[in-house]
Amino acid sequence: MQRREFLKGTAYCGLALAFGGPLAPLPAFARKGKRVGAGGTATTGANRAWEDFYRKEFLGTRGDAQGFAFHCSNCQGNCAWRVFAKDGKVTREEQVAAYPQINPKIPDANPRGCNKGVVHSRQMYQADRLLHPLKRMGKRGAGKWRRVTWQEAMDDIAVRVVDTLQKNGLGSLMLHCGTGILSQGRRAGPLRLGSLLGAQRLYPASAVGDMFTGASLAYGIATIGHSLDAWFEAKTIILWGINAAVTRIPDAHYLTEARYNGARIWCITPEYNATAKQSTDWVPVKPGTDSSLAMSLLHVLFRDKLIDETFVREQTDLPFLVRLDNGELLRHRDLRDKGKDDVFYCWDEVSQTAQPMPGTRGHFTKSLRLGKLKPALSGTWKVKGRDGKEIAVTTVFERARAEAMKFPPTATQQTTGVHPELVERMARDLARADKAIINIGFSLHKYVSGTMTCWAAALACALTGHAGERGGLDTENNWSLGGIGPLSSPKPARFASGFFSEWENGGMAATMRQHYPDAHLKAALGMDAAGLAELGDKFRQSSNAWFGKPRVVLLFADNLLQRNKSESHYRKAFVENLDLLVNVNHRMDTTALWSDYVLPAKSQYESWDLRGELGYHRFCNITVPPKGLKPIGETKSEWEICLLLAEAISREAQRRGIDSIPDPDFLVQAGDKAGPVLRDLKNLPAEFTDGGKLKNDEDVVRWLMQNVPAIAPWTPEDAMQRGFVTLNREAGFNSPLYANRPFHSFENNVYLRQPYATLSGRQQFYVDHPVYMKMGCATPTALPPLRPNTFPFAFYTPHARHGIHSQWRTNTYLLRLQRGEPHVWLNPKTAQGKGIAEGDPLRVFNDVGEFFAKAKLMPAVPPGSVVMDHAWEPYQFRNKLGLNNAVAGMISPLELVDGWGHLTFNPNWDGNMIAFESAVDIEKART
Amino acid sequence: MTQRQLAMVIDLNKCIGCQTCTLACKSQWTDRGGREFMYWNHVETRPGKGYPRDWQQAGGGWEGDKLKPGRLPRLAEDYGIPADFSFDATLFKEGEQPLRPTEPMQWGPNWDEDQGAGEFPNGYFFYLPRLCNHCTKPACLAACPRQAISKREEDGIVLIDQERCRGYRYCVAACPYKKIYFNPLAGRSEKCIFCYPRVEQGIPQACAYQCVGRARHVAYLDDREGAVHRLVNEWKVALPLHPEHGTQPNVYYVPPLSPATFDANGKPTGQPRIPDDYLVELFGPAVKQALAVLQREIARKEKGEASALMDMLIAYKHGDMFRLGRPPEQRS
Repeated sequence: MQRREFLKGTAYCGLALAFGGPLAPLPAFARKGKRVGAGGTATTGANRAWEDFYRKEFLGTRGDAQGFAFHCSNCQGNCAWRVFAKDGKVTREEQVAAYPQINPKIPDANPRGCNKGVVHSRQMYQADRLLHPLKRMGKRGAGKWRRVTWQEAMDDIAVRVVDTLQKNGLGSLMLHCGTGILSQGRRAGPLRLGSLLGAQRLYPASAVGDMFTGASLAYGIATIGHSLDAWFEAKTIILWGINAAVTRIPDAHYLTEARYNGARIWCITPEYNATAKQSTDWVPVKPGTDSSLAMSLLHVLFRDKLIDETFVREQTDLPFLVRLDNGELLRHRDLRDKGKDDVFYCWDEVSQTAQPMPGTRGHFTKSLRLGKLKPALSGTWKVKGRDGKEIAVTTVFERARAEAMKFPPTATQQTTGVHPELVERMARDLARADKAIINIGFSLHKYVSGTMTCWAAALACALTGHAGERGGLDTENNWSLGGIGPLSSPKPARFASGFFSEWENGGMAATMRQHYPDAHLKAALGMDAAGLAELGDKFRQSSNAWFGKPRVVLLFADNLLQRNKSESHYRKAFVENLDLLVNVNHRMDTTALWSDYVLPAKSQYESWDLRGELGYHRFCNITVPPKGLKPIGETKSEWEICLLLAEAISREAQRRGIDSIPDPDFLVQAGDKAGPVLRDLKNLPAEFTDGGKLKNDEDVVRWLMQNVPAIAPWTPEDAMQRGFVTLNREAGFNSPLYANRPFHSFENNVYLRQPYATLSGRQQFYVDHPVYMKMGCATPTALPPLRPNTFPFAFYTPHARHGIHSQWRTNTYLLRLQRGEPHVWLNPKTAQGKGIAEGDPLRVFNDVGEFFAKAKLMPAVPPGSVVMDHAWEPYQFRNKLGLNNAVAGMISPLELVDGWGHLTFNPNWDGNMIAFESAVDIEKART
Repeated sequence: MTQRQLAMVIDLNKCIGCQTCTLACKSQWTDRGGREFMYWNHVETRPGKGYPRDWQQAGGGWEGDKLKPGRLPRLAEDYGIPADFSFDATLFKEGEQPLRPTEPMQWGPNWDEDQGAGEFPNGYFFYLPRLCNHCTKPACLAACPRQAISKREEDGIVLIDQERCRGYRYCVAACPYKKIYFNPLAGRSEKCIFCYPRVEQGIPQACAYQCVGRARHVAYLDDREGAVHRLVNEWKVALPLHPEHGTQPNVYYVPPLSPATFDANGKPTGQPRIPDDYLVELFGPAVKQALAVLQREIARKEKGEASALMDMLIAYKHGDMFRLGRPPEQRS
């Protein structure tokens, strides 16, 4: 319905008559009390046949066909749903709620799901759904469209794709699948086509600012941790910058269940939020000061010697020797001519000599076992250098401790607003718990200091011996689904750095310069804008990433015009230089609105799909559309769209007499010689379908189930019966996934002594890269908030309850559970100081830009901050300019470092767009 | 007395305010036919004005054996209109029209989400899911001049006979929880039916079964094995909302704990930030004892001791939270 129907109804009955006003009971009637006895009870009416009224309605929602689905989005929740359909139309969805309990002592994972998933059946038929291919007629973004046929769209797109490949080279085509599709089924199409064509694509986690570089520093892996049922067994849980009750809705029950099981739950976040409410202790840290708090936590651990020395000696680089003269790690090359760069030393307490540590990258022993070595943690010694001169050395432990000792909780309270008692107690809870987990949320790395906060939290876990079954740091566990390569990456692709490409493509250095005065940058980071630019140039030279602006962009499920900071500036810089922007999408999001072509895709319930890489739980879900589901408009699955593109590109290439384009950037073995990879345009469709074996989305899902070892022994038929299958032991990256225990990272390292994926082969807490040394960040330390004082308020935008980024953000049902349009959260005192009342229209502004939204007064929000749940579509704001319009571009020098050990461009080492370091002012706006 | 009473316990410590139940109910029952503005089940932030707006001041319930007068909520101001949005004008037409409700929204079921009360850093809020309480002494039933409201013998579910009802709305005014809605299209009053068509088929209520916080237990009140009986009658940690209205609700709440407030220096005081007085206002004086029991049992678990209460609230198996099979006759 059918609002019209409703209005008709209300009009018919008369609004004033139907609603509102006092209504006294009919006392005589109530007193008669025939049907209400002394106990106030009543009996059932005689005629109950009418009850079928609701029974029939229920059966209607149950439908005549059932399918299974999950919601493929970047919440990483991955929940199995049953989808009901009637007469070819989806009526409703309900969780499958049949995941097996892995252990009677741990609550099961049912029912999973959330407020977004439960209304997708309404989203799929909503008026922003894309039904037909559309071609832009007016100016970009103007909203003037012409409906075209698939054929017409494909032919024109193919002409421009082949044009750019011919004229501007293979890398001038960007074929990028954003985080709107992360499943293995639907994502495979765009990945495969891009890989065959040699198109450039971005590392998605970096492009959206979701890299955990602090974890990468420590472990060489960004996404590590636990399946979230591990929370239940933990005795201390520290939730740092993660609002799990809002962003981990399907798993949040484990938190209260853990509390009921005796856990202390610490929630560190500037605003009192839904997760703080679930916690035993809330730590109201001032925005952007988390690294100071982290250092105070380390301070207490070092000061009170709450240290698991056995763990630290073996599993970390804390016993490694550091030169006192230049602060660098002592290396083999310091002691021997032609010595190695990646062999490091400890001071052996047994032999009282410097000894190479086993398990480092350059050491022949690939194990962390110390044997007879007893590495010292504290002290200073002298070793003989290769020129015969003595070199004074100490340990990383000493350096880390010295740094932490600068931050007593009493001293940081001024900065963080956190009372020392909280820090002291949190440190003790962490140390004494048999199993403790520190969850790092996506908020922390939105600050430049986030890298340090996360790294310090990793060090806190290391000092207290929390790893493997004892818990430890948790960013986000992902499973290892091997075997997908031949499907998604049959040929090498051009990987571009996510954050740096966005930075360059959007010309965002300009808004950084506008917002952060050079002197301010220099004081906060030790380098000004020019210094940062120089670092960017170095990154370009040293990195093996692909660099270069695209000319033709085929985007799948990536709302980059909503997401990127300095919104209008970015859009101008990125879109205006493009020859063609094509958006494949199921709904008209902001990026679609600015595109030249919009191609309508199927959404969550309409094509086959499979998802199992998400490590919050161990279940691999499948989407099987209900039988007889009617297509919505002319929508097609991503796989079909990619195949159409492949066919059109092949036709156009042949028309121009091009069979293939050699790609000398990538070499393959051809006989006994190496030759360039051939981008075979003529046979592109056959290559895409693997000779006709992969014609559609169902073929892809069946292929995955047969070829991914972690899914064995399950068959597609098993999955089709229940909507999911359980992953096997192989799914774990650095630990086995046991059938009856929660997953914990690093069991292979802790119990089998396998080296970590770091330069030191250990959990690494010393980086002597010149940039880290210059910034005083060789070991974890605190960095101040970067936000300038030119505007009075901190502006930060945490993840939303009523959307997964921009997905479902415009859903009618969810908007009705909000206030229908974007609201800014203000502390009542902040609002009062500006003469702003509840519901007033606001202008939020700074030297980068402005946007308009209404005020919502929230006692839970800290004074001095302007807060807003993120990812509203810009077209939900006045002038169609969204909240990122007042966020300056910023990247972190710590994340631009490349070519130092494990800090080398790869999926585990790429940076973030800094999102929470802008300052704003507010004023009441004219309506 | 009806033979049996199916009842629900909602654990407010487990409720995360995600609104999955709200929308599960909506797609099951209220997204059509004049019910669009209704939320048979919704979750509101407390303290707050709630939904419908200021329902706590809208009268109804019992004063001794007399019904108290009540006020009918207004559509736009108290319920909120079920807004549609300007998708076509914003996305498919030229111009600067932002996406907006086609009529201005004045209120809604979750309007004061996360606002609560108090002053930073001691602000506080919690979530209160609300549905028809299927009261033992329903004021709505007594108020109906058509005798259209009844309580089912077999499960105590309170229903409005959709054939007898003429939409006089005395029930709406009489319900102190304002959980009955007038359907202007049908010209009848409607409300939560405790999902009896699902329950009859052994499928728990949509709001309860689909609750991802695993906050809701459903069982017959006299089922001694069921969590409802044990939480309500034995442990006495689950309490009805506003018992003073005298309707004897059959939806019970485990009251919320909260982290400590801070003194002027930021030091934790050890006192919960939700004032006891406020909880007494909602759940009556028994709430203090209920909170003390919860804290005592949590402390047991913290010390590594066993607690049957905690294990019950943890609810190791989702399926075990619902006991819809009628218990055998029990002699007491």
